[in-house]
Amino acid sequence: MLKQAVPKQAWMWIAIAVVAALALLPLLPGAIDSYAFSFLFFVFIYAIMAQGWNLVAGFGGQISLGNHAFFGLGAYTTAILWSGNYLWGSLYDAYPRIYYFDPVTMVLGGLVAAVAAIIIGLPLLSKLRGDYFALGTLGFGEIVKVMFINGGDFTGGAFGVVAPAGTFDTLLPHYLVGLGLMVGVALAIRLLMRSRYGLALIAVRDDEMAASANGIDVLRVKVAAFAGSAFIAGIAGSLYTYYIFHVGPDSVFDLDWMLLPLMMTVVGGTGTLLGPILGAFVMYAVFDLARIVVPDYHPVISGLTIILAMLFLPKGLMRSFGGRVRVV
Amino acid sequence: MQAIPPPEILLQLSLNGALGGAMYGVAAVGLSLIFGTMRLIFLAQGAMIILAAYFVRALFYGLGIDPFLSLLIVVPVGLGVGWLVYQGLFRRAAAEEDRNISLLIAVGLMFLVQNLMTVVWGGNTAAVVTSYTASGIEILGVRTSFTRSMGFLIALAGTGLVVLFLRKTLVGKAVRAASEDMEAATLMGISPHRVNAIAFAIGIALAGAAGVAVATTFPFNPFAGFIFSLKALVALALGGIGNVAGALAGGIILGLIEAYVQYFISGGWTNAIAYGVFLAVLMFKPEGLFSRPYKKA
Amino acid sequence: MANRLLDVKNLEVAYGDVGALWGVSIHVDPGTIVAIVGANGAGKTTLLKTISGLLKPRRGEVLLAGVPLAGKAPEEIAGMGIAHVPEGRGLFRQMTVLENLELGAFQPKVRKHFKQSLEKAYVLFPRLKERAGQKAGSLSGGEQQMLAIARATMSDPSLLILDEPSLGLSPIVVQQMFALIETLHKQGVTILLVEQNIHQALKVADYGFVLKTGELAMQGTGAELIADPEIQKAYMGVLEVQ
Repeated sequence: MLKQAVPKQAWMWIAIAVVAALALLPLLPGAIDSYAFSFLFFVFIYAIMAQGWNLVAGFGGQISLGNHAFFGLGAYTTAILWSGNYLWGSLYDAYPRIYYFDPVTMVLGGLVAAVAAIIIGLPLLSKLRGDYFALGTLGFGEIVKVMFINGGDFTGGAFGVVAPAGTFDTLLPHYLVGLGLMVGVALAIRLLMRSRYGLALIAVRDDEMAASANGIDVLRVKVAAFAGSAFIAGIAGSLYTYYIFHVGPDSVFDLDWMLLPLMMTVVGGTGTLLGPILGAFVMYAVFDLARIVVPDYHPVISGLTIILAMLFLPKGLMRSFGGRVRVV
Repeated sequence: MQAIPPPEILLQLSLNGALGGAMYGVAAVGLSLIFGTMRLIFLAQGAMIILAAYFVRALFYGLGIDPFLSLLIVVPVGLGVGWLVYQGLFRRAAAEEDRNISLLIAVGLMFLVQNLMTVVWGGNTAAVVTSYTASGIEILGVRTSFTRSMGFLIALAGTGLVVLFLRKTLVGKAVRAASEDMEAATLMGISPHRVNAIAFAIGIALAGAAGVAVATTFPFNPFAGFIFSLKALVALALGGIGNVAGALAGGIILGLIEAYVQYFISGGWTNAIAYGVFLAVLMFKPEGLFSRPYKKA
Repeated sequence: MANRLLDVKNLEVAYGDVGALWGVSIHVDPGTIVAIVGANGAGKTTLLKTISGLLKPRRGEVLLAGVPLAGKAPEEIAGMGIAHVPEGRGLFRQMTVLENLELGAFQPKVRKHFKQSLEKAYVLFPRLKERAGQKAGSLSGGEQQMLAIARATMSDPSLLILDEPSLGLSPIVVQQMFALIETLHKQGVTILLVEQNIHQALKVADYGFVLKTGELAMQGTGAELIADPEIQKAYMGVLEVQ
């Protein structure tokens, strides 16, 4: 491991400074309409997804390959609640914008995903370990996708659901909500990992037998981490719905919603708090740059970047350059 | 749901299902070998199969080499590519404790290969059409496609050769030993890198053989590989992870399931049911359908 | 010093930040049985694993017949003549007895003499000949341990390392095991033995080392150590009760 390149305390200050700069960015004239603005919005979504994956895989040691399903569930929940007006009844007529970034709708998106995670997680996690759990979640993701394609009018079949909204005039609310969620999720995980529950989670990851011998309910801890991860992914999916409005099986259940955050987390540093965020920034920048500079080859560049990052930075940015990073 | 169909139809379904499923099976055999020694889910296997299919197509349309004859080129090239892929991409990661690294390299390779294919051959569907593509043969009184039957034979022969290699040669036995207990294998003087590279070489060679079968049977596009990887994983789980002959059988069973679901329920549910079976097997019989438990001392 | 088969000098090993061995030095002379004894967690297995290259030391060195083993992979060290029967035996349980023995002779050097080595092993372990076609996992515990040792002898090692060969075996089988160790010793095999069964181990050993929480606490001939009141108090008393 490299020597401490950046002192421990400094990370916190850097993070605070970056967040403050991001929060003040919209005040800069022209920023809102700039390309950087939508770029950052996507970084936020990916950072949230990465943080969710990191919770179950990095801190919990259970590799989930099904987080795209939770993202999709959150997105569909939001779009269906909105288009069917299942939530606000007549209030919707009075306030047509009530579903926009509505906390209740967004939390429900997360909850649906979390409940799905508990339903699937209880049997999977009680029976399967390691790779088998990973494979199981991959299968689960595909099943969910097919169910939504075959869901009839309720899910809109292969076409999906369109939220009854026009286009938006500004990305400002998306940006601010995205930033807020990214920071909020990171703070929540920091709190969580410093609590008794966080210690239990790490204990289960490092040595399941010993954890269980010390009275930790291993299954409960794992399922809770999986559900927490799904909740975060569901919220991210909900946020994305406010950006695309049209939620379809191929767009929100796309495997990229699992693979890219996974990749970002590993590049940033699995099992670190800032790693997923840093990874999202760096990797999305690389992808986007490749998309602009060499449009025909950009997925090739993405593939190459992952391989190179894993060959030369297998421990992730945070652990390679962050010195002896305190985990949370 | 439909009424029970006449026996000819059932036979037809079973035959087509089994023939198609053998292709998942041969992909699964490769996954099984690689998983065995490296504990790596090689998600790029499907992409490698499609790459081989494009290669076969190029040999056919470019040089006029018959697709089945091209096995003589594709399989040795596959062995070489597999060896190089291990040495160049996975050797370092194999030594790391964190297996996510290998998994991600596989994902990166998948992205890379499928997009390179798009750049080189375009994203449209491609196919290899020969003079015998449309011809059929009769098996058990049921007519079926000649190319599918050839694909089945390729799968059978490929798996058979791998099983012979693993059972009869000392190096093959070393691969099996390493799959069971890598640490104990190194204490015998077996180099992990050597067995990993062998597993990769054979795995990619099998992807080449499967590529021939795919190219002659189905239209394909650069992104068809991922579904193939998933199906191969299902076959792998059905057969029992680490059981090579079981992987082929798992593929055939998956093919049968798909054929029956498609006929009796609906094509739209095929994948969901296939993955449902996959989950059920993982949960209730994680050692696979064919394992014979032996007494533990 | 010159004719030492194995020389371990100031070995320091850690798992992550947690130290397991602190400057341990031991040595094995050719043709002898050396026992390493100590309580659970004293670092015995760690020491053996470091010798055979499964663990990398933080400091210190291991010399085999004067050749340093630093930086060598376990498979290379196996090729240099160390055969390590790990704790838990490390058998390939899904493979047959014969296949296990074949893998014992995997190294090119010894592969040529496979037939002779196999005959020699069958003389020593007649049971294994009867069970040649059976899966290793189906053998009884005692037979499995015999197979593990037989497999290790297939490479005609200059140093045979045995980690807890008596673990989990019934008293009668333990007796057979130690008789076997003595037979191997008479055939000229050099043996490094780790045991919880301290009394038995020191009885057969020419020389012994006592490890205590990662450090060398004592050393001496087997007879000296058995007679040592401190050893009797600290280890054998406890074990006899068990």
